[in-house]
Amino acid sequence: MKGAGAIASRELGAYFRQPAGWIIIALYLFLTGLVFAFYVLGPGEPASLRSFFAVSGWLLLPVVPAVSMRLVSDELRSGTMENLLTSPVTGPAIVLGKFWGAAMFLLAMLLPTLVYVVILFRVSAPAPDIGPLVSGYLCLSLLALLYLAIGTLATTLTSNATLAFMITLFAILGFMFMETAYSNSPAVIRPFLFALVIRTRVDDFAKGVIDSGHVVFFLSTTAWFLLLSVASVELRRWR
Amino acid sequence: MLLVDGVHKSFGNVRAVQGISFDLKPGQVAGLLGPNGAGKTTTIRMITGFYLPDQGRVLIGGCDTVDNPKAAHARLGYLPESTPLYPEMRVTDYLHFRGKLFGMDRRTRVAAIEHVIARCWLKDVRKRRISKLSKGFKQRVGMAAALLHNPPVLVLDEPSNGLDPTQIRETRQLVRELASDRTMLMSSHILPEVEKICDRVIIVANGKVRADGSPQQLIRDSGDQGTYLAQAKGGRAGDDDRFIRIMTNVPYVHAVRRTNPDRPGELADWSHWAISSKKGAPDLREAVAHAAMQNGIMLRELRTDAQTLERVFLRLIEETEQPAAPATEPVATVAEDKPRATGSAA
Repeated sequence: MKGAGAIASRELGAYFRQPAGWIIIALYLFLTGLVFAFYVLGPGEPASLRSFFAVSGWLLLPVVPAVSMRLVSDELRSGTMENLLTSPVTGPAIVLGKFWGAAMFLLAMLLPTLVYVVILFRVSAPAPDIGPLVSGYLCLSLLALLYLAIGTLATTLTSNATLAFMITLFAILGFMFMETAYSNSPAVIRPFLFALVIRTRVDDFAKGVIDSGHVVFFLSTTAWFLLLSVASVELRRWR
Repeated sequence: MLLVDGVHKSFGNVRAVQGISFDLKPGQVAGLLGPNGAGKTTTIRMITGFYLPDQGRVLIGGCDTVDNPKAAHARLGYLPESTPLYPEMRVTDYLHFRGKLFGMDRRTRVAAIEHVIARCWLKDVRKRRISKLSKGFKQRVGMAAALLHNPPVLVLDEPSNGLDPTQIRETRQLVRELASDRTMLMSSHILPEVEKICDRVIIVANGKVRADGSPQQLIRDSGDQGTYLAQAKGGRAGDDDRFIRIMTNVPYVHAVRRTNPDRPGELADWSHWAISSKKGAPDLREAVAHAAMQNGIMLRELRTDAQTLERVFLRLIEETEQPAAPATEPVATVAEDKPRATGSAA
């Protein structure tokens, strides 16, 4: 996987070399900060970050497509993809490098929210339960990775970043509304659709339950989207 | 060093490249010429592995670009047509990134970057953001990136594209320097540039090789041994047709073409003509002047025009495409068995 590290670090650097990266982080922290201040720190509220995790999950909906929309689209539009594909790096290295660069950016966005945990421990008596906090962050990270993998696939399909944003957004919404599709679908495909329902898995994480089946679901689905992204990049040579 | 063996590429129903083959020996510098849509960039993209050929194969230093792409890419330096770069990066950061893609360790990378920065005259801008550079400097950064891993084969797609005359001169000087110690394939629209730099020229049109040889060989074999430029009194309807009829009857005349830059349908007082001769023709100035005098045509200029690669190229393309002659530029060609301007410089 030679070259993936170089691509990832360039990608991460690109977010911080442009105002867009800083603006995304600032907006995310501002909105989650408001939720933390008004809903978590309210007098009489339970010592938990449940509302922060719930809002953060929704915020990922516009944030992740905004982060992923330029990953490959920009390379296709500007022609730098030609430089990558004619250097001795493979399609999987390009996709993984791009994906990890963006994942590290999302991690950098989530990292400052650990301050909320510290504050919660300072002001709460008794101290908050650590289980839901760990599972909440794990859930948020897994959701972000899955959305990001969907975004990575979308961005390999078009050189138009806005179109990539829209494809990602609607694909994620499609996943979110799988529950409705499941309840109205024929019995034959119900088990398959139920396996794709995200909300029930997120609810378990919110309760502090870390089910290995849920973790495997998120990671394997992410891997599938990344595999499709690799296929999409490699197909460009054959077009 | 670079073998292109019968490559084909189609996009839907469009057959962009149809069996192009050539072989560049170590140290050879070849120019790939052709009109827009001839298949130059598609051929170059198959050489660099950006496109995979539908048929045929490309070997770089003996490594197949399909079977062994990593080894083939490691032997190749490539500057794409539009010099795509990351505008938010600084010059040295970008070169470090490229070095990492080619698996260079830090020490080798630093030494290589110093070398290419000196070679591509980038010392003054090494810390600058790429977005702040002029197009000429961006071109040099692209060239430095292509040279970073010291590849034995260098492929440049239109290196002078979009540059101003000063930048073109600088780029030409740089390309000439680089050509001294490696195998190079360069596509360009600037034919005098190719004539000066390249020791071999491959002309493609409609996805096929139309001519292949040294510039001197192509000029020699073109069959168009010389062109004469004449200015004749005109201004009346039918003058052009009459001039063509008279001149095409002069022995050894191959073609007569009006070159006035007039608007369509306009008759100039003095019409400008290019009269090309057949292979092995003697000096035709006397015969042309005599034919004009005998037929009462007044000439105010008649001079030889040295044959250039540009003319050979235009003639080959004209023969390939067989366009309808525009109203203001009538062309007449004397029927003959035309020699192919094809040879091998390999």
